[in-house]
Amino acid sequence: MLRAATAALLPWLAVVALWELAAARGWMTTTLFPPPSSFIQFAIESDFRVGFGKEGMTIPVAILASAFRVVAGLFLGFIAAVATGILVSMSRVASAAVLPIVRGLAPIAPIAWIPIGIIVFGIGNPTAVFVVFTGVYFLLTLSTVAAVQSVDPRLVKTARTFGASRSQVWVWVIFPAVLPQVFTMLRINFFAAWMAVLAAEMVGLKNGVGMIVILGREMFNPNLIMLGICIIGVTGYAVDALLLFVQRKILWWRPAE
Amino acid sequence: MSSLEIRGVQKTWQAPGGLQVEAIREVSLSVSSGEFVAILGPSGCGKSTLLELCAGLEPVSGGAILIDGEKVAGPNPKAVMVFQEHALFPWLNVESNVVFGLKMKGESHNERWRRGREVLERVKLVKFAKHYPHQLSGGMKQRVAIARALVGSPEFILMDEPFAALDFQTRVLMQQFLLEVWSGFKSTILFVTHQIDEAVLLADRVVVMSAAPGRVLEEIAIDLPRPRRMTDPAFNDYRVRLTSHMEREVMRAAEVQ
Repeated sequence: MLRAATAALLPWLAVVALWELAAARGWMTTTLFPPPSSFIQFAIESDFRVGFGKEGMTIPVAILASAFRVVAGLFLGFIAAVATGILVSMSRVASAAVLPIVRGLAPIAPIAWIPIGIIVFGIGNPTAVFVVFTGVYFLLTLSTVAAVQSVDPRLVKTARTFGASRSQVWVWVIFPAVLPQVFTMLRINFFAAWMAVLAAEMVGLKNGVGMIVILGREMFNPNLIMLGICIIGVTGYAVDALLLFVQRKILWWRPAE
Repeated sequence: MSSLEIRGVQKTWQAPGGLQVEAIREVSLSVSSGEFVAILGPSGCGKSTLLELCAGLEPVSGGAILIDGEKVAGPNPKAVMVFQEHALFPWLNVESNVVFGLKMKGESHNERWRRGREVLERVKLVKFAKHYPHQLSGGMKQRVAIARALVGSPEFILMDEPFAALDFQTRVLMQQFLLEVWSGFKSTILFVTHQIDEAVLLADRVVVMSAAPGRVLEEIAIDLPRPRRMTDPAFNDYRVRLTSHMEREVMRAAEVQ
């Protein structure tokens, strides 16, 4: 674990070193691209607070707000999609009625839902959660239906021969069998969801790390912009690591070995 | 006394495009209590289908299968099926796999634990109770699958080429293991295989099936004391007799294709 973290950190240390060197030697304009030493110092000097008055917030709160939005949206989207996918798969009529609609909605990028979210939920957390939810829900529903179809028929037959009723087969065999595959899709779509949250924060939501970047632009403060960009990267990386952990430690099994 | 009667059973599959595929044509067979019957036939002769019909996983198209005088109309705790490797639930550990059927029947947690332990002791897998299938070798996985079949004390164990995916050494050990288990538990075994040696080594009686559509060509009682030795001249006589049958059927199957 520690070795993996070190291995991931080393290339970044090299990038930062090069960046600092370039700034110190004057190879690039530090007023536009301040190096980490500059914007981290800026963050410490401003007491990890950005913005003024109503727009003011602390950086840790901004990070938590963004992370909460994306994790809550992914969580709700995952649960709802697995439930929908399984329920729809249980009936041919339901599949025929629902799947064409889902297939039409799935290609819509999460970002495209932002205006609808703001109209329906106003400015606030529900909009961000809605955007992430909608961004993953339709896709994951399709992926659940596909996963249900690819469940090894021997597992189903085994359960049936040991006395499982049809509903028990859904609960005890098909449900656990599809989870890893759907979760893999969730992880693949996390980045799109993360971008959607940031975009939503940039166009109107109060606080969040997306807001830091926009504040930086409004205040012509390159330190704030670079700080925001770096926080976005680090936070996204951390949430992805969390998803990877869930995938490896909790939903580790594969349908076929 | 338990009994299994297969009376003039037919099975026709409805293939996509309205095509009808005849898998089994008129099979009759009766198996008495405590017997070990091997069903031998070339690939695609419908022998696996016959087992699934006995297990109640598929309905017959004609004729009837009776267990203890009652028509098989669905999965039945009296006759459970053991598949090739990979039919263990990958998300359950060995113990939970073994007691899966008891859980479906709503047995209490304590009762499940007690009976699970009992069977695991008999198949010498107690040490591996908390292991997951992917941590086990192929032979151990099949021991778990057999333990899972034994835990509900079924009258009939229907085995569908259970050792076909194992290497030679493991297969020999598993055959010994199965014979030990069989003499201890007194279940009746219906064992599908395409390997002549395996059939002669294990069974009291070998039923030879024809190439598709499957029919019973011949029943041969193996009149050899146990433990049997493959190097025994009498063993070889049976092998020669069965090989000539199989050769003819394999050639016939090739012609049909």
